[in-house]
Amino acid sequence: MLQQVLVTFLVLAAFAFSAWRLMPARRRLLTLLALDRWAAGHPALSAWRERWLKPRIIRAGGVGCDGCAANGSHAPRSR
Amino acid sequence: MDTAVSASPLRIALVGVPNCGKTALFNRLTGSRQKVANYPGVTVERREGERAANDGSELRILDLPGTYSLSPTTLDEAITRDVLLGRVADAPAPGLIVCVVDAVHLPIGLRLALEVKRLGLPMVLALNRMDVARRRGVKINVERLAAELGVAVLPTVAVQRGGADALIEAIQPGRWAAQRNVTVPAWQETTAEDAEQTQSDLKGVLEAVGYSAPVENPWFGRVDRLLLHPLGGLMVLAVVMFLMFQAVFSWAEAPMDLIEGGMAAVGEWLRGSMSEGPLRSLLVDGVIAGAGAVLVFLPQIIILFFFILALEDSGYLPRAAYLLDRLMGSVGLSGRAFIPLLSSFACAIPGIMAARTIPSWRDRLTTIMVAPLMTCSARLPVYALLIAAFIPDESVGVFNLQGLVMFGLYAAGILSALLVAWVMKLFASGTLYSPLMLELPDFQWPNSGNLLLGLWERVKIFLSRVGGIILALTIILWFLSSYPAPPPDATGPAIQYSFAGQLGAALEYVFAPIGFNWQISIALVPGLAAREVAVSALGTVYAMSAAGDDVAGQLEPLIAQTWSLATACSLLVWYIFAPQCLSTLAVVKRETNSWRYPLIMAGYLFALAYLASFITYRVVSAWA
Repeated sequence: MLQQVLVTFLVLAAFAFSAWRLMPARRRLLTLLALDRWAAGHPALSAWRERWLKPRIIRAGGVGCDGCAANGSHAPRSR
Repeated sequence: MDTAVSASPLRIALVGVPNCGKTALFNRLTGSRQKVANYPGVTVERREGERAANDGSELRILDLPGTYSLSPTTLDEAITRDVLLGRVADAPAPGLIVCVVDAVHLPIGLRLALEVKRLGLPMVLALNRMDVARRRGVKINVERLAAELGVAVLPTVAVQRGGADALIEAIQPGRWAAQRNVTVPAWQETTAEDAEQTQSDLKGVLEAVGYSAPVENPWFGRVDRLLLHPLGGLMVLAVVMFLMFQAVFSWAEAPMDLIEGGMAAVGEWLRGSMSEGPLRSLLVDGVIAGAGAVLVFLPQIIILFFFILALEDSGYLPRAAYLLDRLMGSVGLSGRAFIPLLSSFACAIPGIMAARTIPSWRDRLTTIMVAPLMTCSARLPVYALLIAAFIPDESVGVFNLQGLVMFGLYAAGILSALLVAWVMKLFASGTLYSPLMLELPDFQWPNSGNLLLGLWERVKIFLSRVGGIILALTIILWFLSSYPAPPPDATGPAIQYSFAGQLGAALEYVFAPIGFNWQISIALVPGLAAREVAVSALGTVYAMSAAGDDVAGQLEPLIAQTWSLATACSLLVWYIFAPQCLSTLAVVKRETNSWRYPLIMAGYLFALAYLASFITYRVVSAWA
């Protein structure tokens, strides 16, 4: 039974991840912006919005290699 | 047109001619790891990074494509001009310009610096590659140069730790606070009189600073005579490519065996330590047999990129571009297409984007359409698997047969690209050949830091693909291969009754004429997301088809036993032309601003792949 539950979770996660990564870059950006608008109305999510959501919106808004699944790790970092 | 300059944070734009070290300086300033190489045209879009200033405020740093002038001839040069003039919607004009000039070739960079200075924006000049300039006897009176230009001049060595410290001090926001509210003056296209004036100013400045040209290394001249010789140069190029593919097979054998053994051991351990059930099947038949089968090819990818990065850094590749220019021109490709096509060996996406450096729309479109025919690194696992399974590990003279076949596959990709370009030329009457204008960079030993960083980036990209999209698609394929469960009276393997089995059976009607069985037909579908997923999909499908427990990690001997040589050759040929991944189509749509061209591209590549595989299958079947 435990194996069934874990497998169900892993398969659903794999479907969600694949759909996200294979989504057109513009659609991904629009989804993130919609998520950001929703999170803006929930003060409890402000830290998550700043730390998790904002960098992803910036990256999704970029062009070229940033929008490609093959080159996900090239966003400039600050120091 | 007057455009207000942004007040905060301070935006700093790096501007300079191609291959003067802007991106290396950008990486030094921001701690970023953008691609750098010893040839022009690597940066084709603006990149933005950030750095904390000494006072804690934020500096936004922009790396702009290289340009020889503010009067652009190509899309990438237009980006630079538009950003400087504040014409880009989401990017206000920079508050400070860092004009990067290669000290070794001062006159070329200084000409652009004089043009940029006329914009009236705050500016400093970074005199880059000062270490090389000193070694080669270049003389520049830096103080006098600063006085002549009326801007601060900072010597830099972008590739050295601490090599940009003086520049970092000079760009602190406090120094530019008083000049933050200047406006960008109206700008007009450069006239012939302007160009003459700039040339005259340039001569004056060069005389004033006592500039002396670099001393040429006599060895470089001799090497260039060989490398650029129409016949000798081509022979050297062929030998270099040969050695590269020989090394990919012979050097990678031991580490590949190690990874393969490790994967098999993990599979065995999981099988022995977990009770039978869907999770065990997912991990052993899905993750280990599928994603693990792709991971095995990591050493080959590292070796291939070691050679590519070393050649890039040494300055050899622009020489190869020069050699191949005539050949490319004869089939209707612009000389400028070389760098985009070269980039496509890593991935077609940066190659298609690099086509922005081609001024003519028709030449650019031809380059975009043939870029996916260059063998991208995602095809390497597919080639390597089939070659290892079907081509004996024997020597032909001093060469390894498997390496020769790999070389042949890469050559077939290049030849087919030239052929398609030639066919496109037949339909494009009235276009003029635009010659290649390329500045040959100096030879240099590949920088070990750059090399290691480049390799590390490729390893990270590969591992993140294996652990990301490849793993996810493998899990989905395992699910589709496992459910629904077979009926109680089933006689064949369970996978035949699953969703994937039914899909494979349907697709087999389409692909049977080219020799593909239902397992291959299934693997082609997730291979559209990323080509190397085809290998993981084959691993999973065969693991799920097996009656026993001995399949995980043993894909290569299994296909060697069950496929005919004709099927293997047909699949190899399929992947020379294989309809490219979805990301590539999406980028073509964006770069051409139309669905027409990605649809044409997908259609012609599918037709070519099917036709070539059909012929190969029939010929090899008759011969074998």
